[in-house]
Amino acid sequence: MLRYARNIWETKIQCVCSVISARDGDDVELFLCANFAQASFDPPRVIVNPNVLYPIERAIRRERQFAINVFQASWREAALRMVRVRRRTPGKRDVLGLPIAEHERLRIPYIPGSQRIVFCELEQTLDTGDHTVMIARVLDSIDDPAQKGKTALLYPEISGAPSRYPRVSKAVRTFMTFTGTKELVKRALGRGGVVSKPDISAETYELGGQTAREIDQILNYGVIDRGRAIKPPARAPAVLRRKVGVCVVGVGQWGSFHAQLFRRADPNVVLFVCGRDPDRLARVARSVGASDCIIGLERALEDPRVEALSLVLPHHLHAHAVHQAVDSGKHVMVEKPIANTLADADSMIEAARRKGVVLMVAEDMHFRPAVRESVHAIARGNIGEPLYFKAHAGGKLRPRGWKANSGMMGGGVWMDLGVHYIRALRIIMGEPDRVFATRAMQIDTKMSGEDSAQVIFSSSQGWQAHLLLNWAGPRGNTPDILVSGDRGVLQLWPSARFLDWIPDEPLPLVRFIGEIRPRWLGEKLMKPQYQRVRIPITDRDTQGYLTEVREFLASVAEGRAPTSDPIDARRDLEIVLCGYEALRQESWVDIPPYQTALSRG
Amino acid sequence: MLTSNFLPGMSSRYLTDSVVPSAVGLIITESGARRNATTVTFFSEVAHHPATLWVSIASDSFTLELIRESRQFSLMVLHDGQRALALDCGASSGRTRDKCAGLKLRRGPEGFLFLSDSLTAIACRVLSDHGLGDHTLFIAAILAGEYDTKTTMRRHLLTTDLS
Repeated sequence: MLRYARNIWETKIQCVCSVISARDGDDVELFLCANFAQASFDPPRVIVNPNVLYPIERAIRRERQFAINVFQASWREAALRMVRVRRRTPGKRDVLGLPIAEHERLRIPYIPGSQRIVFCELEQTLDTGDHTVMIARVLDSIDDPAQKGKTALLYPEISGAPSRYPRVSKAVRTFMTFTGTKELVKRALGRGGVVSKPDISAETYELGGQTAREIDQILNYGVIDRGRAIKPPARAPAVLRRKVGVCVVGVGQWGSFHAQLFRRADPNVVLFVCGRDPDRLARVARSVGASDCIIGLERALEDPRVEALSLVLPHHLHAHAVHQAVDSGKHVMVEKPIANTLADADSMIEAARRKGVVLMVAEDMHFRPAVRESVHAIARGNIGEPLYFKAHAGGKLRPRGWKANSGMMGGGVWMDLGVHYIRALRIIMGEPDRVFATRAMQIDTKMSGEDSAQVIFSSSQGWQAHLLLNWAGPRGNTPDILVSGDRGVLQLWPSARFLDWIPDEPLPLVRFIGEIRPRWLGEKLMKPQYQRVRIPITDRDTQGYLTEVREFLASVAEGRAPTSDPIDARRDLEIVLCGYEALRQESWVDIPPYQTALSRG
Repeated sequence: MLTSNFLPGMSSRYLTDSVVPSAVGLIITESGARRNATTVTFFSEVAHHPATLWVSIASDSFTLELIRESRQFSLMVLHDGQRALALDCGASSGRTRDKCAGLKLRRGPEGFLFLSDSLTAIACRVLSDHGLGDHTLFIAAILAGEYDTKTTMRRHLLTTDLS
């Protein structure tokens, strides 16, 4: 019986299975693909068509080289494992346990033992909808002589619902098809017969599970999987091998805390404190064991013993103080936010670049171990595809002085705390594309900036985020960050030496209690914590403050850029300012795309 | 696609110089009274939305001439029982004989010529073409596709089956 192909897979143009491998920074990106073929002889070219949202597309665009690893039929299980791995899962080779080798001359990663491996160089890309046609020249190929004459793995072998007994299912399907039983059953169920001609594109998407909005996003030409543009630092900074003279400028509550951090960071730190009030300065210097007190920033800049400055000043003074420090050839760590305006941030970054000094913005979230562990948990597939990010931070606070002045602060709680959680959001989820913001009534009437804000982000990658920042009332004993995926949830608690993972799949104890009868007894015995896995954090610096200071000192001593780039602090500020614009307009606001290469020069 | 100088029993560049194993298909083109059927191996999917595929045709072939004129073609994906048909349609040029004459053809959706008994038959309209040196790449919208339930359990005919 003739039937209409209802979706693209029923046209059967997908045939031989391969895995496309390409370098992706330090990682190797892998992608199971049944859509590739040769396209010309002289020179030999091939075409692959990755989905525009998949990391493999970005990796090939960036590296411009890739390999097609043709799978033999006996590698069906490995291919099925690839099908099950989420497309955005980083570190796929570790997840899949596939051996990866590298072409000696071309440096292209490939899977040894594949029936045929074809090494390619990207020549041309054609934007063709939700997939990109990539035309590539063949540079080299390797054949496995042991696989000669054997059949390649075909797409129909790995498509369809997985079966526990694939051979039996295939035999039953074959029997039913050839005897016509399948058609009879379909007719009996009212699914038989040729119906009206289907819309293949629409039905392909319906089968793929995408919503109309996702299709719109996918069809938004130029959309690329920016994914996570920044990574948490891989390791703790090294111990200082020489003395570094550091002066903490500003000895308010937070300045004193900074001085303590520098004191604890490394014995090679020669610490100075700088302020305007001699009494307070002397008190702080005594408490932290500073080598000397310096009255006024100007004198600190002239002091040859001071190599680096930690500026803990009101936000509106950041730009001017950084310019003064940089002009004097001092390395600078400035408190977050980098500045109140993007113009100030740009001029600060440019000045530091010109003078060749270190400029780092004190953003502890970048170094928070729980954030780093969350990234690893996501990479392990603990929560599946990350879908929602929720941050609830702040707590009852009545700021006074410059912190209550929106002109000096650059805003209110959203400016002060927003940058922290935006950094966490960007590390864990990626770059947001749109923002909406709203707020409750003002409780602290002596504060000109907002004392609460709730901000919603969306990404073309399909995830969303909700940030609730609040000084109006207490926060309660709740995790400050929650990351929810389709297979589990991660809970990050402030200052805790663990993070909680709540998997979707019931844990053995929960499964056992679930079997207890009568049911009421099982319900009585069940506790929420039984379905919780506590992931320990070995780092004692739970908030990342000390690591942040050590990273600054190490970058000064080693003459290198810090792992927390000021460009990222500028990006955090840019997103905060978009949030303020959304708050003003009371509507969704587009966030400018993150242009990493451009911004970092 | 098998070149016009390919004869049964002789090796074609499409088999000897093929860098990747792939499925074998048959393209049927019509332009006015002229029509042709030719074997192809250079084709694959382009995108899901819009549903599109690509096919790469030798720049000196009769099929290319007809596609350029009509801007449409039908693509049949062949199954492992159609080896002889694939070799026959790839063995000679459609300029010298009507290869469609010996085929079991029918009119499918939108009036496209479809081969009966293939794995699938797809009606395509050309959206764009791109020169690739000795070949021309056509990107085409999939207007409709059909398959016979009797062939669903058969496997694709592969280039490796032809050598």
